[in-house]
Amino acid sequence: MDVTSKTSEVPDEPAAAAVTEKVWKAGRLEPMPIRKLPDAPPSIHILGPTVFLVALGVGMGESYMWPRLVLVFGPDIRWLFMVGVTLQAFVLLEMARYAMATGESIFFGAARIFKPLMWFFYVAAILIYMWPGHLSAGAAAFEEVTGIPWQITACVALVFVGVLFSLLSVIYNFLEKLLGLLIGFLVVGTSVIAAIVGSWDDLARTVSGMFAVGFFPQEAMTAAWFPVVVGSIAFAGPSGMQQMWYTLQLRDSGAGMGAHIPKIRGLRSAGEAESMPSRGFMFDTEDPAEMAKWKGWRKWVTFDALLLFWGITMLVTISFTVLAMSAARTNPNVASLIEGGDREAALKAMSDAFASAGSPILGTLFFAFIALIGLNATLGLFDSFSRGQADMTYYFVPGAKRFSMSRLYAGFLWGVIVFGILILLFGPADGPAGILDTLAFLSTFAMGAYCIVLLLVNNKLLPKKIRPGPVRNAIIGFGAVFYLGMLFYCLFRFGVAVG
Amino acid sequence: MSELKQLAEFCAPAATVGVAAGVVAGILGSIAGQPFGTAVVTGLGLGVPLLLFGAGYAALMAFGKVPAGVFAPAAVYWVIAFPLALMAHAIVTEWAIAGSPGLPPEPWKFLAFRALISMGFAIGFLWMHEQLGRHWWPRILPHNRYARRTVEQYAHLAAALEARKAATGRGRKKRVA
Repeated sequence: MDVTSKTSEVPDEPAAAAVTEKVWKAGRLEPMPIRKLPDAPPSIHILGPTVFLVALGVGMGESYMWPRLVLVFGPDIRWLFMVGVTLQAFVLLEMARYAMATGESIFFGAARIFKPLMWFFYVAAILIYMWPGHLSAGAAAFEEVTGIPWQITACVALVFVGVLFSLLSVIYNFLEKLLGLLIGFLVVGTSVIAAIVGSWDDLARTVSGMFAVGFFPQEAMTAAWFPVVVGSIAFAGPSGMQQMWYTLQLRDSGAGMGAHIPKIRGLRSAGEAESMPSRGFMFDTEDPAEMAKWKGWRKWVTFDALLLFWGITMLVTISFTVLAMSAARTNPNVASLIEGGDREAALKAMSDAFASAGSPILGTLFFAFIALIGLNATLGLFDSFSRGQADMTYYFVPGAKRFSMSRLYAGFLWGVIVFGILILLFGPADGPAGILDTLAFLSTFAMGAYCIVLLLVNNKLLPKKIRPGPVRNAIIGFGAVFYLGMLFYCLFRFGVAVG
Repeated sequence: MSELKQLAEFCAPAATVGVAAGVVAGILGSIAGQPFGTAVVTGLGLGVPLLLFGAGYAALMAFGKVPAGVFAPAAVYWVIAFPLALMAHAIVTEWAIAGSPGLPPEPWKFLAFRALISMGFAIGFLWMHEQLGRHWWPRILPHNRYARRTVEQYAHLAAALEARKAATGRGRKKRVA
């Protein structure tokens, strides 16, 4: 094992200064001191940082894009969704491997391999996520329920998120609880609506479609649909850089070696923040007791990945597909609207169909859930974006360590909020039309790129005993080829980025 | 405090989750301008059975028949309870609209479909139950033996968290503002 003894030069920990301690050399940056791995919690409790990924991941892809593809190509197209989400579950497990073993984010890992990689993610995150377009679907649904114009709701929501996150003492704990409740409510509610309006046949067709491996109709290979299909697969579950942010949430939840890293605080309590160590830590993989604890952590995160992430993503999308099929049966006009791609008109028609077919309240309830999905995604996105940018800025922008991580977090949070409000009032919410293709390209490219980064950090930076096995490596390698291959095929064959 | 009262108090979070779907459905219906009577009847038709079944699950937990926070027993419980609650809702809705109670067409298919969907409801139920319970049970702990027993089941988790905290405390210093 590449653990060496050296005189520690870690400035944050006076107790450790000038004593010889074991460190783990990982890449080109500062070595990681060896510390104790905390005990893993038992996996009986079903709460964990994966709640953030679920909040971010269960979005328009699950509630709109996939139901749309099912109506156009039939339920058998859903096997591609199965591939997309399963691949993302493996990505989640591998992201967790690095974060839990070191307490560092995947961005820090990328910088240990090759700094420009990290800078690519830094710039891409700003370009992709500073546009407030993601607010529009949820706020538009809220407008349907209450009549309040969506721009007003979106602006109020932006300020509310900013004030809320600034007042909190420890942001992570609050958000985990809030999102846990909201998603629990979403899952309970979606199940109830699907149970009221759906039928056995809808469900049977939806579920059997998930195993129709190899089904790919000719129409899906056209310039009109192929980019949409590719986009829907890439955006099944968490998309873009959301999986990378998950490593930060793991760290802040104190998972694995993240327990040695202080938590980010709200602006009001930023002065109380503990000093941030200048790098992560490693545990002694030669110690059997430590390895036993590591196995406990892997079990914990696997439980999170399977039940929470895979299970809930599948459940919500199956429920929404059943809803779309049921609405199309009630009102054939819905099918043509959904196929046509006008999202707002399609959602409105689905709501009307439920109101007329089932209980009269179902139409409203449907919009309430779309609004709830939007709220979950917004809360998760603002927190995650600010967390990711603050992390990279703190460690790698010269002079940034003068500010605490909590202050940098607040800076990015308010920056994206103010920019968002200005754009909502005066500009195009999704970003200028001329760069939309570039943004879609960057988002999918980042996913291929993080698969490569994962392979590198987990196989080059971690001690041999905790590296992924060949099967896991093959799956992540397949992910890189899958995302990048489809992206470039789309670009060269049809001249467009994913839809 | 009597046994029954203690049990009812312990079951409050589960009953809250059970009734949430029905009550919120009723309130939203009223906001949306639907006929008030229909909204209330539909809400109650679903809310009351889910409240009773939710409380039933918590009672099983209180008597130690199912462990706290474990998914499999909750899934088994709701695979039976959820379709029955929806059946009750369908009968009540039929009653409110047609004037006399009636079973939905193809009742077995109706139940089978809801049984499959119940898996999702079980996850959501367990999740919310734990979220609400972890605030409620410690509060009633001193006088409620069921809450005490449940909190003890989480003791291992608490111990593990404690160990993590202890590890976190090492090598930190307060930032000097």
